[in-house]
Amino acid sequence: MDEKDFKTRLKIAKEKIADRVDTKSPKKAVFLGSAFRLGTELVSAVVVGTIIGFILDSWFDTKPWLIIIFFFLGSIAGVSNVIRAAKKMQQQK
Amino acid sequence: MASNPMTQFEVYKIGPELKFGGFDLSFTNSSLFMVLSTLIILGFLHFSTSNKKIIPDKIQLISEMLYNFIAKMISDTAGSKAKPYFPFIFSLFTFVLMCNMIGMLPYSFTVTSHIIVTMIMALFIFIAVTVIGFFKHGAKYLSIFVPSGVPMVLLPLITVIEIISYLSRPISLSVRLFANMMAGHTMLKVFGSFVLSLGIVGGWLPLTFSVALTGLEILVAFLQAYVFAILTCIYLNDALNLHH
Repeated sequence: MDEKDFKTRLKIAKEKIADRVDTKSPKKAVFLGSAFRLGTELVSAVVVGTIIGFILDSWFDTKPWLIIIFFFLGSIAGVSNVIRAAKKMQQQK
Repeated sequence: MASNPMTQFEVYKIGPELKFGGFDLSFTNSSLFMVLSTLIILGFLHFSTSNKKIIPDKIQLISEMLYNFIAKMISDTAGSKAKPYFPFIFSLFTFVLMCNMIGMLPYSFTVTSHIIVTMIMALFIFIAVTVIGFFKHGAKYLSIFVPSGVPMVLLPLITVIEIISYLSRPISLSVRLFANMMAGHTMLKVFGSFVLSLGIVGGWLPLTFSVALTGLEILVAFLQAYVFAILTCIYLNDALNLHH
């Protein structure tokens, strides 16, 4: 078997393997993983915002104003977290 | 029969009580399973690579696939600059995966179903990433709190929101792993007790659910380890390649 023949056979075999990897695609599991991600991403920012508001409130004696403001800021941060994560996921596709 | 589904999460001491200056350092069942999973990982990797061949046998292939999987994940999400952190992410992934998987065995203890364990790991990652960011970029690292292209009026508001979202990272990282593991194991236990209480007549339906849930839990155990590792890579990417 000459070298050229071997090289074409190797190329065909490699292409076959590449095809197989593509069709199998373990990506479904990865998507499920990212779905789990988004929920906590939203909640944790709200929690952190509220905790910061609570701490600042007890520092400055401004109950209940800062906790309300920071609750909403936390919600905004949570939504922007989710949007950012979803954008990144779309880029990866 | 223990019908309380939360008894499986109880931590109890094994062996003598050790106290060092107010800290209780006794060996618990939690520590036992951590040591066990570490030993299994080390033993497996040692055993599978001790007899290296050019054409790998099945066991060697598993560890090589594991290596490739993590290496690809790091290079895909954090780029080539993150190569030096491969050992850390590899150990993190295998440790979380092994803890989750050991927890799927009956009569075992799931280390990751306690928030203190996941919180320590997440806080370590958070602090490490912050330190790496400041070490690599200096004070310029603070610019991740100031996204570009924002009008001056909105800048203080956006900065506060960015800081909140940065601080929420360790919480979302730890709560996700802990909540998934704890909810899954509680559910398994609840369905298991349904089987016992309904007996041989009505117990078949919850038994089917139990079997299906066990399959789902194994998937979740893998996925949560994967998500934990990939989020570490993403945070590392933010610290190493500063761009907005």
